[in-house]
Amino acid sequence: MTKHDAASVPDRLREAGGLLEGVARDIARETGVPEAHVWGVGSFYHLLSRPDAKIRVCTGLSCLMGGAQGVLDACKDAGMPVEEASCLAGCDVPPAVLRDRRTLPHVSVEDVQRAEGDWQRLDAAAAPGTTEWTGTVGPESASDGQLAIDLCAGAAPLGQAFARAVELGPERIIEEIAAAGLQGRGGAGFPAHIKWNGVAGQAETERYFVLNADEGEPGTFKDRECMLRRPDLVLEGMAIAAYAVGAKDCYLYLRGEFEIPWGIVERMIKEIDESGVFGDIRFHMHEGNGAYICGEETALLEALEGKRGMPRHKPPYPVSEGLWRKPTLIHNVETIACVPGIVQRGGEWFKGLGRSEAGTKLYCVSGHVAKPGTYELPLGATLDELVEVAGGYIGTLKAFSPGGASSGFLPAEMRDKPLDFKTLSGLGSMLGSAGVVVLNDTVDLRWAAAQQLRFFEAESCGQCAPCRIGTRYLRESVERHARGASVDGTLEHAADVAWQMNEGSICGLGQAAPLPLTSALKYFPEDFPEGA
Amino acid sequence: MTNSIGEIRNADFLFVIGSNTSEAHPIIAMEMKRAVRRGGTMVVADPRKIWMTTIAEKHLQLNPGSDVWLLNSIAHVICEEGLADEAFIRDNTEGFEQVRETVARYSPEEAEVHTGIPAEDIRWVARKYATTPKAGIYYTLGITEHSHGTDNVYALANLVLMTGHLGKPSAGMNPLRGQNNVQGANDAGATPVFLPGYQRVDDPEAHAKYEKSWGVEFPSEPGLNLNVMMKEVGKSIKGLFVMGEDIVLSEPNCMELEKGLNNSEFMIVQDAFMNETARFADVIFPASVFAEKEGVFTNSERRVQRVRKAVEPPGQAREDWRILIDLANACGAGWTFESAAAVYDEMVKDADKFSGISHARLDAMVSLPKTGLQWPCPTPDHPGTTFLHEEGVLRGKGLFTAVEYRPPAEVPDEDYGLYLSTGRTLYHYNSATQTRRESGLDEKQSEAWIEIHPRDARRRDIKNHDKVRVSTRRGSVEVRALISRQVQPGCIWMPLHFGEARANVVTNDAGDPVTDTAEYKVCAAEVHRIEEGTAPDGLYPGTFYGLDAPV
Amino acid sequence: MIERTEHDVQARAAIKSIDIDGHSVAFSAGETILEAAQRAGVEIPTLCHDPRLEPAGACRTCLVEVEGQNRMVPACKTPAADGAKILTETERVDRHRKTLLALYLTDHPRDREVAERGAPNELLDMADRYGAPRNWGTMESKRDARDTDRNPYIHFNADTCIACARCTRYCEEVEGVSAITLAGRGAETTIATADSLSLLDTTCEMCGGCVDVCPTGAMGEKMPLTRSAKPERELKKVRSTCNFCGVGCQLDLNVDEEAEGGNGRVVKVTSPPPGTTTNDGNLCVKGRFAYDFIHHEERITSPLVRNENGDLVETSWDNALRVAADGLRGVAERHGANALGFVSSSRCTVEENYLVQKLSRAVFKTNNVHQCAAT
Repeated sequence: MTKHDAASVPDRLREAGGLLEGVARDIARETGVPEAHVWGVGSFYHLLSRPDAKIRVCTGLSCLMGGAQGVLDACKDAGMPVEEASCLAGCDVPPAVLRDRRTLPHVSVEDVQRAEGDWQRLDAAAAPGTTEWTGTVGPESASDGQLAIDLCAGAAPLGQAFARAVELGPERIIEEIAAAGLQGRGGAGFPAHIKWNGVAGQAETERYFVLNADEGEPGTFKDRECMLRRPDLVLEGMAIAAYAVGAKDCYLYLRGEFEIPWGIVERMIKEIDESGVFGDIRFHMHEGNGAYICGEETALLEALEGKRGMPRHKPPYPVSEGLWRKPTLIHNVETIACVPGIVQRGGEWFKGLGRSEAGTKLYCVSGHVAKPGTYELPLGATLDELVEVAGGYIGTLKAFSPGGASSGFLPAEMRDKPLDFKTLSGLGSMLGSAGVVVLNDTVDLRWAAAQQLRFFEAESCGQCAPCRIGTRYLRESVERHARGASVDGTLEHAADVAWQMNEGSICGLGQAAPLPLTSALKYFPEDFPEGA
Repeated sequence: MTNSIGEIRNADFLFVIGSNTSEAHPIIAMEMKRAVRRGGTMVVADPRKIWMTTIAEKHLQLNPGSDVWLLNSIAHVICEEGLADEAFIRDNTEGFEQVRETVARYSPEEAEVHTGIPAEDIRWVARKYATTPKAGIYYTLGITEHSHGTDNVYALANLVLMTGHLGKPSAGMNPLRGQNNVQGANDAGATPVFLPGYQRVDDPEAHAKYEKSWGVEFPSEPGLNLNVMMKEVGKSIKGLFVMGEDIVLSEPNCMELEKGLNNSEFMIVQDAFMNETARFADVIFPASVFAEKEGVFTNSERRVQRVRKAVEPPGQAREDWRILIDLANACGAGWTFESAAAVYDEMVKDADKFSGISHARLDAMVSLPKTGLQWPCPTPDHPGTTFLHEEGVLRGKGLFTAVEYRPPAEVPDEDYGLYLSTGRTLYHYNSATQTRRESGLDEKQSEAWIEIHPRDARRRDIKNHDKVRVSTRRGSVEVRALISRQVQPGCIWMPLHFGEARANVVTNDAGDPVTDTAEYKVCAAEVHRIEEGTAPDGLYPGTFYGLDAPV
Repeated sequence: MIERTEHDVQARAAIKSIDIDGHSVAFSAGETILEAAQRAGVEIPTLCHDPRLEPAGACRTCLVEVEGQNRMVPACKTPAADGAKILTETERVDRHRKTLLALYLTDHPRDREVAERGAPNELLDMADRYGAPRNWGTMESKRDARDTDRNPYIHFNADTCIACARCTRYCEEVEGVSAITLAGRGAETTIATADSLSLLDTTCEMCGGCVDVCPTGAMGEKMPLTRSAKPERELKKVRSTCNFCGVGCQLDLNVDEEAEGGNGRVVKVTSPPPGTTTNDGNLCVKGRFAYDFIHHEERITSPLVRNENGDLVETSWDNALRVAADGLRGVAERHGANALGFVSSSRCTVEENYLVQKLSRAVFKTNNVHQCAAT
């Protein structure tokens, strides 16, 4: 059994149609991976573990507010093999529905009825028959050099930035990245150059670059748009990063629901392979299989190695022990898409694009706004500014999540705070992946918190007890509270549980999971009436 | 064993030969697995594709009985390529030159013809073994149960001596004992040659010491060893006392033995269960099992450990040691031992190797990090000995012994076209008097079988699960056939645990010239289909079996 | 020849030290905080830890504070670093233990009669020891019950499983067969075989290591359960040596002293703690589970002699011994001492083997004594 045999297990499971009877044993025989391990892997990933489900309706907060429950019920009524999905990164096109591995936007009850119970015929009237669709992005026109990414500009010819990078050489590239003040845009906001230096400085020469395109934070869909619209920047950024840290092999981990972005990126990799524009740098694509936790970088590495996507303990960090325990640079799609611009125009240019922090930022906005979509604004823009670009509020603003489910809820009063890493962190929230969800005054925050808790319960990997038990405990507690049940284990102990999850969990999922509840309790106590 | 079980996990190279470790010694196998997980390299030499081969770097699937060819050719490479530890050889050994001359005739290329192992693999193993400091050899009955078993052991010892892999942790030469107290039984002098503590009975000094100590006279000529004794039953041997052994089931060529028992005059069987042998007994003493008595067992690594009484024997059954005292006293011996501890004290009194050990001392160790004491342990304050031969070879210089290949006593021919080998499985133990009385084990493996390669099965029109007759010149048994690539073409294998299909009806009692150990591992056999079979319930031949087992 | 002792072999030079709750503790390279603390006698609770396994850091009970670090760290997985100040008795650590254990209890049977049907329950013991609140309610969602597995030995009770993965890691790292796995995820995480097969149909070798390492008895031994044996804490443990192969595994015979009319009955076999014996707490299928023979109905319970008709009949000890003595002496008188053969047994104790050879030599004057010693 080689590491590649082990790594192939999820792909083999997918090709076999999921975790059907006998499949684990077959794959064990083909690969030498113990059959129980194959089973463990298959049962971990939702897209593999329940092979019968063909239609998955997103029941994330934005999709629920966009009518997901009606679509789900309609599918059930029509007798389709349907189940709920956690979040499909289609919060801007609610309700999003996954048909096999194709994400359909804006699916309506009528769409479901038109399929007459045949799941294969389910199609979205909003984008009928399309093999490719994109979301709303902005600003539509920007002057040259005003935006770091510029989703509307269309793909640029490959190779110029890479050539410039080779001119600069690894050390100066990293200097520019440092000068740019580029922070990781996957959620943590960690300074990129520290990781680059970390990998470049390892004694081990076998090194890897890994692209984290497992975009799964509810409210977030910017990486999807990046790959759909600017795959050139993503791949060129990877090539530059790999070159700078001395890696040859780049692994792309795309969430399994990204069938359309996959096709676009795959096409461009083929072009690159044919043109040889990035020299001997090789790209390897890997498909996720339905696990939010694999957006956590070490869980992603486990998944790439073909294992259950359970986060590793840190330290050691991936810069020293990453993929197959070799030094590994991991970046989010958006982060890496910033790199070609930085190399070509310099770090200072990038830094100057920002307001309170460096660069422009792709903000995703969904929920109660007129034009949900992905908007590139200076880092540090406010909610009001963002929503103005997105066509304005629907109804009266009550609350918002600035950075996906993990950021909890903030009250309307904070609409003028800069949406940046530092400010939001100071408020006990986080910018995270900048998946902004807007809630108007029709929304009950106890209900909204319950939805987020349900998400975390479904997506907890189960490795550590605080998260595994705590996510379910809190979701049950809120639901019990909503039912008016006054028994032991209602919200009385929520604060202790939240404290425990934050202190005790191994990774960010469990640490952040209580935040939707604790923030809702803090800012909207009126939504938690006693005994009702 | 020259080394301790706890050292295995730190070995960097493990040469496992003739040992189905994961089935016969699961706990040792765990230690080996740990060594491999740690980064150690394992090489398995076995005619059969046993589980251990799945974690081995190389599997040397040698032809049955060709061990000497393999081992001498490894020695050949070590000598030829200058990998021998000349300093160790000079300081610690004798007789190397003769071995060097002998193995010069055993080139890997020619060995390939005899063993079926590629010469390149032999060279690789030789280099790896010779150049890895922590390199240990592990073997069991696959080495010794041959007509050339002693030669095999010498050939292994030559490898150990010429590389100096001795007297160091995790190196050395480690026979894995098949039964719980083989070591202890030999230590105690239950052998025709040795008094307790390996003092030769024909050594005048030792003999005189015991005559004095016991206050009796007894002969100083060595007695008959078991294999000879069994052949003499009904001839020169007319009376037998048999304790805790089902000789009819476990001795080779039992048809002859049964005839002999019918011709003998008197036999006592002392056992906890009725067995095949007891059918011939004149007196049966109801004995005890280990949970019912006090005493010690000595394990493969010379560790003396306590056996403690947990429950009372049933009915009138008694502890074996009490029965023996009763019997001796019925014969007028006047023994006065009041406890097993007192027996032990008498034994160690005249055997220096153990004289620092007592029940009391062992009992005081229960809560220490390690239980038991490894002999040599000559004084009450001696900590015991973890590995032998640290400073030079025990008792003077290590003696090289050149050995030449001799074919097995019986090889396949026109009438009996297959090599038959027998062995153990994980789920049963020896004649299975205990394990087949355990519901779960019996459920997992409830009947006997042979493994036969698909090619050989096809030629004999045998389908999987068919009932077949396995015949040799000595007899035949009927078993289930399992078609399996775990055996190589031309070889069949059967477990030895099942009374209704006694492997030793067919095995060869041709003995090794030195030890008289019978050749259980190789004989010529033929297989005939009797009738079609269906997949049996609960026949679980092992985890690593079958056509579709991982290749 | 210098005989080196185990102690010498294992001695490792300690070179550096950490500070645990104000006490300086020396450690050697590669040691974790937990190992250093254990050696110093500082108690740090653990559930998923086993010295035989790679640390998992999953149960979170061993979190301690390290001065200068924001987050608490798992002592089992964090290497001791020279000069580090470890705090295990702070208010934060105490709150952590209490709240974590309270959370565990919401997802676990709290009644000892239920939670401790067979084996001791480390979680309940720990909750008592640290005063974890027991009033946080009980989870409504039930974990999937499991089909009964027809294997004869190992029972899995999902309700008491805390998903610490000791069993699956043992199965992979120590036994090396990987028959069981963590399956599912999140709150539904459980222990499974591929396709939920019976263990009999997997690579499982029934070593029972999963039973041994389980801290809550979720992996339990089936036979004592189906026979309604007393819980382990009510049994007497007798340390002995396994009577199967030559490894000499130490095991504990668990005896119900009142059974068998006061003779006592071995109702299960457990292994001593890892690190204390040659077998390092491991046993194989035979050592752990094959004890039915001790009390088997086919045991011979009376001396037997062959009568005039050639049948074996029950008799008294006195008579049996007399017949035996006469028989052996008769042969010796008729054919000489060397017409006798004494077959001893490598299954019996050293003392018994000594007595057989002494019987042969000193009483019957023959060296015809041997046992099956081919190995």
